[in-house]
Amino acid sequence: MTELSMRRPASRSVRIWHLLPKISGTVFALLIAVVWLGPILLMVMTSIKSNADFLAGPFSLPTSPTFKPYVDVWSGLGFDHLLWNSLVYASLGSALAVLLGLVPAFALARFPVPGKKLIFGVLLTGLMLPQQTVLIPLYDTLRAMHLLDTRIGLIIVHGVYGMPMQVLALRAFMTTIPREIEKAAHLEGASDWQVFWQMILPLSLPGILVGYTLNFIAIWKEFVFGLVFLNSEANFPLTVGMLKLNSDRYISVFNLPAAGLVISQIPIAILFLLMYRKLSGGNFVGAVKG
Amino acid sequence: MAAVELVNVDKRFGGHQVIAKLNLDIADGEFAVLVGPSGCGKSTTLQMVAGLESISGGQLLIGGRDVTDLPPKDRDISMVFQSYALFPHMTVRDNIAYGLKLRKVPKDDIARQVGEVAQRLQIDKFLDRLPKALSGGQRQRVALARAVVRRPGVFLMDEPLSNLDAKLRVEARSFLVKMHHELRTTTIYVTHDQAEAMTMGSKVVVMNEGVIQQAAAPLTVYNAPVNRFVAGFIGSPAMNFIELDYADGHVIDIGCKIRLAVPEPARAALDRRAPSRVVMGVRPEHIHAVARGEHSPAASETRWTVDVTQHLGHGTLLDIRTGPHHAVARAGADDDSRDGEERSFSIDMDKVHFFDVTSGANLILNS
Repeated sequence: MTELSMRRPASRSVRIWHLLPKISGTVFALLIAVVWLGPILLMVMTSIKSNADFLAGPFSLPTSPTFKPYVDVWSGLGFDHLLWNSLVYASLGSALAVLLGLVPAFALARFPVPGKKLIFGVLLTGLMLPQQTVLIPLYDTLRAMHLLDTRIGLIIVHGVYGMPMQVLALRAFMTTIPREIEKAAHLEGASDWQVFWQMILPLSLPGILVGYTLNFIAIWKEFVFGLVFLNSEANFPLTVGMLKLNSDRYISVFNLPAAGLVISQIPIAILFLLMYRKLSGGNFVGAVKG
Repeated sequence: MAAVELVNVDKRFGGHQVIAKLNLDIADGEFAVLVGPSGCGKSTTLQMVAGLESISGGQLLIGGRDVTDLPPKDRDISMVFQSYALFPHMTVRDNIAYGLKLRKVPKDDIARQVGEVAQRLQIDKFLDRLPKALSGGQRQRVALARAVVRRPGVFLMDEPLSNLDAKLRVEARSFLVKMHHELRTTTIYVTHDQAEAMTMGSKVVVMNEGVIQQAAAPLTVYNAPVNRFVAGFIGSPAMNFIELDYADGHVIDIGCKIRLAVPEPARAALDRRAPSRVVMGVRPEHIHAVARGEHSPAASETRWTVDVTQHLGHGTLLDIRTGPHHAVARAGADDDSRDGEERSFSIDMDKVHFFDVTSGANLILNS
């Protein structure tokens, strides 16, 4: 009994000492979460306040929440049109990037391609190039092709610009597909094309979805290409259209830009929630081993 | 069905030769087992037959047709992989039917053939499941069904049982043998498990370092191994090797009081070569503990110390030693040897093998 009572405090302190890294890690993660979530929370709070309410207390909770800023900014900026344009650019631009990336990714993952290292170097360079460095050549190319200020022009730009990342990401994913599946398909009588179409492509679906989603988000947020290559308001994506929020009309109102920003982020949040389950792995379970 | 012939087959990876001048005939309907330690070239040989690895030199004939440079799909073969290699995004039904669909077999025929094979392999209840919803044994049967349904000329099997637990493996082993008896399809089966090789194959091909050591019926390989490698690889526990002097028709180690008479015809064969030393190979079942107080009639008795006794239930393994020599003897289930005890053991000298000390060749077979 004495021994036990003597041991207890020691074991408790040991336990606390043992848990310390976990506790400090959790506290640190919470701090990071607050830093990240703080501005978002502030934006949402501002978007449901009246302007007077905001000026009275920018960081306080809304006294009488209202969705009027959403209605005002929606009609003022023509959000339906902007959202549609962004949806077209993001969905088709990402689809083009994935399509352009699939076959090179398969070739690099599975075949002895001559100059593989050089190709990787070029692809990586494509990833690292700042947008500004390609603006002038792209502008010239689009002008030569009579695609300036057209939706299809911007879709092609997004597709080509997103392709290097798709090749690298898809190649990395395809190398994880067990080779025995391809061998088995070949033995069953499949050609290289059939192996690609019937095995690699369906098995790469999680990788394709990841690549597509990331590219979609990148295009949704993209601003410079839209600003430089488009002139007509009818073709503007959300990011360029929201420039109007910097105009005199909105400069002294804070709730309308906040509402606009919230609206612009909702599709991305929905996309992520829809894709989240599909993005988690487990696609090859049952393919190999017991 | 089809015979398989490998004629002077070479395989090089870069400058490294892994298979050299391999010659092997597998008759139509035969169940040949390629067995050997890891890295011996057995899987590479199978992959070359499958067409998944190119052949660096030589010729491969299937059904008398030169298929050396043909792609896998034109070789009239099917293969079961160690990892099963099922298509994870397809149902069991689609997995089995895949090859038939590619060959544009009419839909009704596909449905009938898949149904028949699934029933035979007892997977007809799982046809609409994905592979991930199956157990290891069921997946293995799906892989078999996919191989069987096309009725190819040759089955290739690359350690198909190695992912199963011990109980399931024994069941699957007899199931595969039964299936072979029914279909009589030429089968090449790769394993590193000598028990599988012995129990399943009508021909056992023992390989080491890219070279076929012996290709013969299982009992021939067991009872008449051509060299020390085959003798040591086939059989469990492995054959005991004891290096001794040879003189006057006896194998001798004076220090250990070993003097065993070599019976005919082995003696004549050894006398022709007149080696001064030999490696005597004795299987554990040919070393017998002599009952205490008795003597074996033949002059084959020696004194050994029992190091460890291992009771297996159906028998007992005795680790024994005398001087520098160690051996394992297989005794009856009721053996009462004690660890550390010194007792007499007799050796069936009619059953022992003699190998060359340097080359390891069987001196009796190769005389």
